[in-house]
Amino acid sequence: MGAKIIQFDQGWSCLQKGITKLKKILEGAPGGHFSSEEYMALYSTIYNMCSQNSPNYSQQLYEKYGESLTEYIRATVLPSIAENHGEFMLREFVNRWANHKVMVRWLSHFFSYLDRWFVSQKSLPRLKEAGLVVFRECVYEKVKSNVVACVIGFIDKEREGGRIDRGLLKNVVDVFVEVGMGQMGGYEVDFEAEMLADSGEHYSRKAVSWILEDSCPDYMVKAEECLRREKERASHYLHSSSEQKLVEKVQHELLVVHAHQLIDKEHSGFRALIRGDKVEDLSRMFRLYHKIPKGLEPVANVFKQQVTDEGKALVQQAEDAASSQQGSNGAGAEVGLVLIREILELHDKYMAYVTGCFMNHSVFHKALKEAFEVFCNKSVAGISSAELLAGFCDNLLKKGTSEKLSDEIIEETLEKVVVLLAYYSDKDLYAEFCRKKLARRLLFDRSCNEDHEKSFLTKLKQQCGGQFASKMQGMVTDMTLAKDIQTNFEQYLGTNPNVKPGIDLSVTVLKTGCWPNYKSSDLNLPQEMVKCVEVFKGFYDSQTKRRKLAWIYSLGTCNIVGKFEPKPIELVVSTYQAALLLLFNDSDRLSFSEILTQLKLTNEDLVRLLSSLSCAKYKILIKEPNTKTVKPDDNFVFNSMFTDKMRKIRIPLPPMVDEKKKVTEDVDKERKYAIDAALVRIMKSRKVLGHQKLVMECVEMVQSIFKPDIKTIKKRIEDLITRDYLERDHEDSNMFKYVA
Amino acid sequence: MSKLGRGQREKMQQFMTITGASDKVSLQTLKASDWHLEGAFDIFYSQPQIQAHTDSRHLEKLYNRYKDPSVDMILADGISLLCTDLKVDPQDIVMLVVSWHMKAATMCEFSKNEFIDGLEALGIDSLEKFREKMPFMRSELRDEQKFREIYNFAFGWAKEKGQKSLALDTAIGMWQLLFAEKQWPYVEHWCQFLQARHNKAISRDTWSQLLEFARAVDSSLSNYDAEGAWPYLIDEFVEYLKENGVIKSS
Repeated sequence: MGAKIIQFDQGWSCLQKGITKLKKILEGAPGGHFSSEEYMALYSTIYNMCSQNSPNYSQQLYEKYGESLTEYIRATVLPSIAENHGEFMLREFVNRWANHKVMVRWLSHFFSYLDRWFVSQKSLPRLKEAGLVVFRECVYEKVKSNVVACVIGFIDKEREGGRIDRGLLKNVVDVFVEVGMGQMGGYEVDFEAEMLADSGEHYSRKAVSWILEDSCPDYMVKAEECLRREKERASHYLHSSSEQKLVEKVQHELLVVHAHQLIDKEHSGFRALIRGDKVEDLSRMFRLYHKIPKGLEPVANVFKQQVTDEGKALVQQAEDAASSQQGSNGAGAEVGLVLIREILELHDKYMAYVTGCFMNHSVFHKALKEAFEVFCNKSVAGISSAELLAGFCDNLLKKGTSEKLSDEIIEETLEKVVVLLAYYSDKDLYAEFCRKKLARRLLFDRSCNEDHEKSFLTKLKQQCGGQFASKMQGMVTDMTLAKDIQTNFEQYLGTNPNVKPGIDLSVTVLKTGCWPNYKSSDLNLPQEMVKCVEVFKGFYDSQTKRRKLAWIYSLGTCNIVGKFEPKPIELVVSTYQAALLLLFNDSDRLSFSEILTQLKLTNEDLVRLLSSLSCAKYKILIKEPNTKTVKPDDNFVFNSMFTDKMRKIRIPLPPMVDEKKKVTEDVDKERKYAIDAALVRIMKSRKVLGHQKLVMECVEMVQSIFKPDIKTIKKRIEDLITRDYLERDHEDSNMFKYVA
Repeated sequence: MSKLGRGQREKMQQFMTITGASDKVSLQTLKASDWHLEGAFDIFYSQPQIQAHTDSRHLEKLYNRYKDPSVDMILADGISLLCTDLKVDPQDIVMLVVSWHMKAATMCEFSKNEFIDGLEALGIDSLEKFREKMPFMRSELRDEQKFREIYNFAFGWAKEKGQKSLALDTAIGMWQLLFAEKQWPYVEHWCQFLQARHNKAISRDTWSQLLEFARAVDSSLSNYDAEGAWPYLIDEFVEYLKENGVIKSS
């Protein structure tokens, strides 16, 4: 076609017809479509009007494009939405948007020439975009609050159990999203924020009434259900980005706001659930609070409190039992055994919850640990917690305990003890007590089973490091070596019959170093025993070079036959007791002082010895006068009429030293060395360090073995200053320097 | 010499009493500081002491007067005589200052070198000059820095040769002497506390830290930091004060 100039009005009237037809189509009038000629006509008109040099109507046409849309909206769209309410209004809203999209599409096809040149020349928004913006500004902005309110109304209706048209709601939501044209801001601000606020209020109201009326498990079930439903709702008709926010909102209102009330509910809260072993409810509680950041903290705290209270009650029970049995020997020890067993059971019980209901979550492991640390370290009846635990182990490992436990159970229990040990702060004290008791078991052949001993030590090593059980392991190996030496000794006697001492002798040779230090008073041995010692010495010197034997008579046992008139009885006594009894082979009657001179013992030791033989259960000697305690002016006679129904009896000798005190002293000394070493090591690497930091690092270094006393650390620091390892800084007396 | 006003004469008097300087020096210093006493003290103490020339023969004679007949040192008797000559009590704290100047190793004795070098450094070669110097030496105790040096010197000086720590009785005596000058309100409590609870020798660290404690911590102990690096004996002392109601515990 030639370059025919089209005048505005002329062109526009033509276009106007097209637009009117379009509107009719949208309104649903029949015969609605554009033929390709009609389309071409419209397109070319615009083309010409825009490409002609003058008058060029690009500007006006662009404006007219927008105007057509706004006119239509004002005339038709808005009123149609406004006259409807509720569901119908929403439907209109959705439909009108769909229509608008169609209209924009067609119009922008007609006017597309503008898009080619004019739009970019003038940096104007493209037709399609401009068209959609029109809807946003003229319709969306005006009706959005009504629409939102309406949608929210429907959501609430559904929450109360009503049926709604989910598809419709989804469509409305989609409109909100599309209107944003790639930006979610509109959706979030206009719709989502309102929806969330409303949801929050809804659940807040529910929570307030439920928390008062419902038991904890019931409340949790309701909460779980609500969360499930909200998630489902979000996936059905909200935008995917809203799901997380909605869930968090509901969680907050139902679970966070009332967390304490819920968990602490008197008859149905956490504590009650534990007491009733309500595994399912506890698991639910975990599930619900697990997803909330820091949500598990209040639960874990109540858990910790619960465990601590139960533990403390056990300790108190033990303390009460011990004081009611006051006076009876070993009351504390017995009570201790029961207590440790109960603590182990408590640990099993609560660990089961941690691994089960609480899915091994670290927060609960920590709570359990802290709780146990509180009451495990309490002493009972004056016996330290370390000693109680050591006593328990001793009981497990020695023979002759009343309950015969199977090997498996013993192993299992030892395993659990080692786990429990982690909560004790004085591990070094425990080790020392263990060592002393182990020595007694090994030397007096009271250990039930060597395998158990070895496996126990291995477990300790794994838990606490190589150093911890090294001495004890040395002791066990020593016993094996000692047995070999004894075998060799017997062979030696076999080949040298003339050297035989006349008494069956077995000697246990111990290496000093790993065994506890034993004091042995210088006993004046009876002749028969002197020979034994000499013979063994001869044998040993022939086997080894330059080794010195120190004889510890206090640990020896002797089987001696008492030739009593009714019948001879074999007495199992300590070497000291035997030495004493043998004196009566030469004289029937001896005074205290005579015995004292002959045996060369101390007063206290002799009193102990004589008491065991004359004032205790088995009266091998008769004391004159027959009072309850041994006095230095007493006399003793061999009780030839002594008898017992057994053929062999053991006469115990109570130990002399306050073992507990010695152990504590030894451990304190070791600790001082450990602290010194730690301080020096720290200062050597840091060169200069402030007081607080030094103390802190020292504590950290030793705490796997024991909990150090701050005062002691201070004293050690001062000692190191006096010994010129450290000095104070001249300017700042709070800083220490390493003296090279 | 221009006529001095009454105020100026008073200031001169004060200055001379406190510093022990001669009137010529006092006048000069006060004039230089425009008759401000504080300024005058600053000037006086910051100037190195004028080294008076000493006659070594006189010093030798002086030494021989006090030297012990059997050993080449001045021992207790000699020191007694010296004190009498100087007209001071042997327990007078100024003797400690003298010993400090001499860098004496142990109390109650001076070696020949200590005596002679010490007096030479002070510019003394006669008893008269010695006596004149006494007020100056007394005044040195009032200087914070010098007092600290003298205090810390006292530990090494008062303890037994070959020992690392100071016997408790000696320490208490020294503290009472030193803190009479320095005015620490808790000195008596401290001594009582040590006798009741500690009963052992005093380490050098405790000795030196006590001075810091007396200086840094105020009379209600409000700024005492229990977490600080004070020696444990001082921590126990604070607890002792609290236990006995001398200090309110917070």
